[in-house]
Amino acid sequence: MIEFKLPDVGEGMHEGEIIQWLIKEGDAVAQDQPIVEVQTDKVNAELTAPTTGVVKKILFSEGDIVEVGTTIFTIQEENEMYVPENDSMEEDIPDGQSGNVKGMAEHITSKPVFEAGRVLATPFVRQMAREMKVDIQQVKGSGPAGRIIESDLQKFKENNSITRENAHHKDDRILQEKDPMKNADQAKGTENEWEERILLKGIRKKIAEHMVKSVSTIPHVTHVDELEMDRLKELKDQLKAYSDDKDIKLTFLPFFVKAIVIALKEFKTLNASIDEKTNEIILKNYYHIGIATNTNEGLIVPVIKHADQKTIFQLADEIRQLATQAREGKLSINQITGSTFTISNVGPIGGMHATPIINYPEAAILALHKMEPRMVVRDLEGVIRLMMNMSLSFDHRLIDGVTAVHFTNRIKELLENPIRLVVEMR
Amino acid sequence: MVVGEVAVETDVIIIGGGPGGYAAAIRLGQLGKSVVLVEKDKLGGVCLNRGCIPSKALIHTADQFHRLNDLGKMGIRLSQERTTMDFKIWQDWKEGIISQLNQGIAHLCKENGVTVVKGQATFLSDDRIGVETDGDFETYKFEQAIIATGSRPFVPSFIKVDGEYILDSTTSLQLQEVPSSLSIIGGGYIGIELGMAFAKLGAKVTIIEMADRILPQVAENLVKEVSRNAKKLGMIIKTSAKVEKASVVDGQVHLHVSSEKHGAEVVVSEKAMVTIGRIPNTEEIGLSRAGVTVDEKGHIVVDMECRTNVPHIFAIGDITPGPALAHRASKQGIVAAEVIGGLPSAMDSAFVPYVIFSEPQIAGVGLSREEAEQQGYGVKSGKFPFSANGRALATNETEGFAEVIVDAKSHILLGMHMVGADASNLIGEGILALELSARVEDIALSMHPHPTLTEGWMEAAEAVLGHAIHIVNK
Repeated sequence: MIEFKLPDVGEGMHEGEIIQWLIKEGDAVAQDQPIVEVQTDKVNAELTAPTTGVVKKILFSEGDIVEVGTTIFTIQEENEMYVPENDSMEEDIPDGQSGNVKGMAEHITSKPVFEAGRVLATPFVRQMAREMKVDIQQVKGSGPAGRIIESDLQKFKENNSITRENAHHKDDRILQEKDPMKNADQAKGTENEWEERILLKGIRKKIAEHMVKSVSTIPHVTHVDELEMDRLKELKDQLKAYSDDKDIKLTFLPFFVKAIVIALKEFKTLNASIDEKTNEIILKNYYHIGIATNTNEGLIVPVIKHADQKTIFQLADEIRQLATQAREGKLSINQITGSTFTISNVGPIGGMHATPIINYPEAAILALHKMEPRMVVRDLEGVIRLMMNMSLSFDHRLIDGVTAVHFTNRIKELLENPIRLVVEMR
Repeated sequence: MVVGEVAVETDVIIIGGGPGGYAAAIRLGQLGKSVVLVEKDKLGGVCLNRGCIPSKALIHTADQFHRLNDLGKMGIRLSQERTTMDFKIWQDWKEGIISQLNQGIAHLCKENGVTVVKGQATFLSDDRIGVETDGDFETYKFEQAIIATGSRPFVPSFIKVDGEYILDSTTSLQLQEVPSSLSIIGGGYIGIELGMAFAKLGAKVTIIEMADRILPQVAENLVKEVSRNAKKLGMIIKTSAKVEKASVVDGQVHLHVSSEKHGAEVVVSEKAMVTIGRIPNTEEIGLSRAGVTVDEKGHIVVDMECRTNVPHIFAIGDITPGPALAHRASKQGIVAAEVIGGLPSAMDSAFVPYVIFSEPQIAGVGLSREEAEQQGYGVKSGKFPFSANGRALATNETEGFAEVIVDAKSHILLGMHMVGADASNLIGEGILALELSARVEDIALSMHPHPTLTEGWMEAAEAVLGHAIHIVNK
């Protein structure tokens, strides 16, 4: 009996959602036959049978979220005596799956070491083979009396990865990234026109698909306005001593979230979606604010749930936590889905305006730009004020230009006179 | 269990603080995991408190005592007429050794951030363990668990170990004086080690073994040297013999023994000891609540990473199938810890060395000649007797030999075995040679220091190649 554990199909994923079972309990399946479709925040993968046999038990239903390493189904091997063409069962375990914490299909019945046969290799070389995910039983040794030495492992891995790459081409969604160094070497041959080909995968692939979906579905319009920030800064500075006491790093962002939520409650179409399938407008009476966050892997959008029910300090604390988790790659699916409106805070990096792309299927996105002292006219006199631009992209199917301007005006009013923000806060 | 009670959360919980459990705990601490180590008695387990260590203290003492007999021929005359052994003082000395080692383990656990909890642990589910300490109950929630509960002496149902007349290996090490006569049921390594030690201290020892020879797990040619010494020590060895009844009559133990050779007889002695084998402690830890299964002998089957059928629960040591040896437990403990820490560790070697502290000692690693032949190898072997080794003569330890078993085709070493003084220390060379897949030439060509017993390995290796220096090659 083999227990099939949810493998890490993305990079460092922690859980996946069972989208669809392609077989049912009791079905006979062939090795490499697709069994289940699993979606993670980064990829969508079909997982295949580790061996030919009968599916004994399916342990999760469609829609369940499952942690990596959890057994999701068990499979009874066709025949205990079944001998695959190559003389080891171990090689059938897909590449990239070590037997450890991330384990995939593991033979639960243990094979005593004696029966497994002695491998002529030092303990160090045996350990190295495991590190390289090489089944040492398959390696031919070039050392004295057929001893396997370190360079044999290297050679085996190289030869094997070439055949593996060919074999895996049909399933490009889980194709291993090729060694970029190798590509660079190959490219040298074509004189000075260097190209690097890197597989589009993981977060980057997900972002690409998402952007195309948004832009090809939603007619975007962007409206830009500016804000005077002096009073808000004053308030924030006044609160600093108090927030320091509570060990909270207070930024402008929680105030923006609060102002946006107040405005969203009044302009319901900005906290909405269009369901193209049923031809309906969905107005959402909950306020989950996504905060676009930069990570090494690319942009991801952690979500503050029920932002309308949280205090400024609570928001500040949650934003900081989510950002840290995002950078460490430790967010759960739950923490990056379900937003109803998204903020892109690009100000700290710089720039005047932008035309942000809506986080589909939401109705609008607000980009916050750089804050800086600028010369502005007040009472027909030139004065210096702390100014900031904001760019609101909205779904023009749902939202008229006038509504969008009213919406940003409302935000402007609340932030430029933060006393009103305090009064209207819930 | 009360619903909603607060559980202490830990990355890893280990049940059992023996040589497997504490090694795993320390390694996990090194790897930055939070570890709770639950021990119901004392750190160090059977090995330190009731097994390896105290028995070696007894064996060493008995050996020293026995050697006094040989001093005369070296010119030493002891002034006292009769040398005596005060077993009570010995007990104190032994306890001192144990307590020093106990403290050492406790210190290492502490320095590596291991939380040691005293109490009896039971699985409540596959992610919770309850620990009972003097009536208090604490719950621990774990990510991974390592079961290392070890084994205890097996005693057949018709014998009752009372600790006074009928002993097991544990209680035999707690005696306050050397018994005048001692019958030992079971001639395996524990029975032989302790039996020889008590014989050296003056006890009249009888060994009753069911198989047709003592130490049935060890190659016959090695055991011969031990049998000869047993006779010299005045031990009576009954083989193919079975104890059918044990009773205490007038302060004497009566063992009803039947054998093909002598029919039914009654062996009478002051004390008797049962050393038949050991059984795994897997009944009382709530394994079924965690979903961990055991085989028909009560052992927990594990894979090369020491995982049980429940992948986040590991098992190590005597509770897993295989020889009940402390060094196997420690290695498994380290492997399990490293696997939990994400390292690519595995129990990937067939080489589990064995050591027997008999007179003389036996130690070995790898295949015996018979095993190698059974596995289809063409076998060459070489032997070198210690009677031809200068150092052995100078220390009056000339018994025994070194034996090297080799694949005839490749000359790769298949097994190295030794019977003789200090074999337990000398086997280190053999283990390394086999793990490194050395050829017999590698040993023969390496310079070995003179005058030492290690030359025995070199000469035995040369004997395989037909050119040992200090024996006539045939």
